[in-house]
Amino acid sequence: MRKTYMAVVLLALVAIVGNHLTSPSSGRAVSPEDFAGACAPCGAPCPSKK
Amino acid sequence: MSTATLSASDSDAEPRIDYLFLGAAMVATAILVALVLLDGQPASAALILGGFALGVAFLKAEFSYTASWRRFLTRGEAGGLIGGLIVIAICALAVVPVAALWPGFGGAVAPLGPSLVIGAFVFGIGMQLANGCGSGTLYTVGGGSGRMLITLAFFVIGSVFGSLSLPSLLALGGVDPVLASDYLGPWGGLVATLASIALAAVIMATVAKNRGANFMPSRTYIIGGIVIGVLCIAVFFAGGHPWSVTFGYTVWGGKIFAALGFDFSQAEFWQWPGPKRALTGSVLSDTSSLTDFGMIFGAMAAAAATNRYAANAWPPFKSLLAAAIGGLLCGWGARIGFGCNIGAFIGGVASGSLHGWIWFLAALPGCMIGIRLRPAFGLSRD
Repeated sequence: MRKTYMAVVLLALVAIVGNHLTSPSSGRAVSPEDFAGACAPCGAPCPSKK
Repeated sequence: MSTATLSASDSDAEPRIDYLFLGAAMVATAILVALVLLDGQPASAALILGGFALGVAFLKAEFSYTASWRRFLTRGEAGGLIGGLIVIAICALAVVPVAALWPGFGGAVAPLGPSLVIGAFVFGIGMQLANGCGSGTLYTVGGGSGRMLITLAFFVIGSVFGSLSLPSLLALGGVDPVLASDYLGPWGGLVATLASIALAAVIMATVAKNRGANFMPSRTYIIGGIVIGVLCIAVFFAGGHPWSVTFGYTVWGGKIFAALGFDFSQAEFWQWPGPKRALTGSVLSDTSSLTDFGMIFGAMAAAAATNRYAANAWPPFKSLLAAAIGGLLCGWGARIGFGCNIGAFIGGVASGSLHGWIWFLAALPGCMIGIRLRPAFGLSRD
């Protein structure tokens, strides 16, 4: 299991760093709730707005 | 978790430091912190470090929401759940007034409707089969449980399925979030929130007393609850919203599916501004992902600092099957029900949002079913 774990950690780290370096990362970290019209932590709209 | 899983592995080995995995956890955390600091984002670094501290705290206190629900439902023991309420009460002291008074901060709110109830119910089943909720999965994966690696993988997959289902479930109807501070003001909302938490504690203690069970949290749970509550406040100030876990899983799954060629351009969920930005932006720009990564590496560091890391053999196939099914249900349920124990229950109640208590009540019968299903997979009901 230790080998599996080390492989998963290395793969995850490469994926995170790779994604970060190849994706736009302008500005501060945000949550979907920060966007206008969001009514839930995942950014779903309010029922009254639908 | 799998408190039992960790305890068993810990007790077998002589205390020792696993330098390989301790070093890996520290180096990985340092790399992530350096990347966000290079982007000029100290708040992001704070979220990673806050997650790291949460991982250490959860692992050291063996703070398990899943086991607490199970002990309450099977034996009437309320100490674990009341320990969880300590976290919420401490968090509420900051979240309710600051979210109401301070621009740029917000609580965890969610619409009330079938989606919330169905999602929480399904999540309740899943977390008992998986043996972990959102936070439990993170710290047990970090703690070296191979079984929970399976749970995490299927949690992520289920979460993507949930993202595809959520719009149609929202179309069934619902009402806008109900927030105590909207009706009673910031301080009245705080009083109402603390009163609701106290009432829940009294009800839980009464149930425990009637069943002849203990209702006092252990010393470890009290200390752990206080530490985790304070860390929740720190994460709230760093991120602007209460701590959440499972949106990060959805983002990871979305990115993996997209990399495999899946087209989300017709998926309504992924066209909402928040998810759309999360899918295209850096994973280190998502607040949930930052604390999630920190929590995994924090738990890994804490586990490796005291024992040979991940030294257990893989569990039996039936247990792994339960982990996979539980993970899928947790992932789908969390996305449909607006979060897990952390994002929906703790975050919701600590924000004074009614959806937090509805989530709790809907997850309860789900947990009962999940507990009944556990023996079919070779897992104990206790």
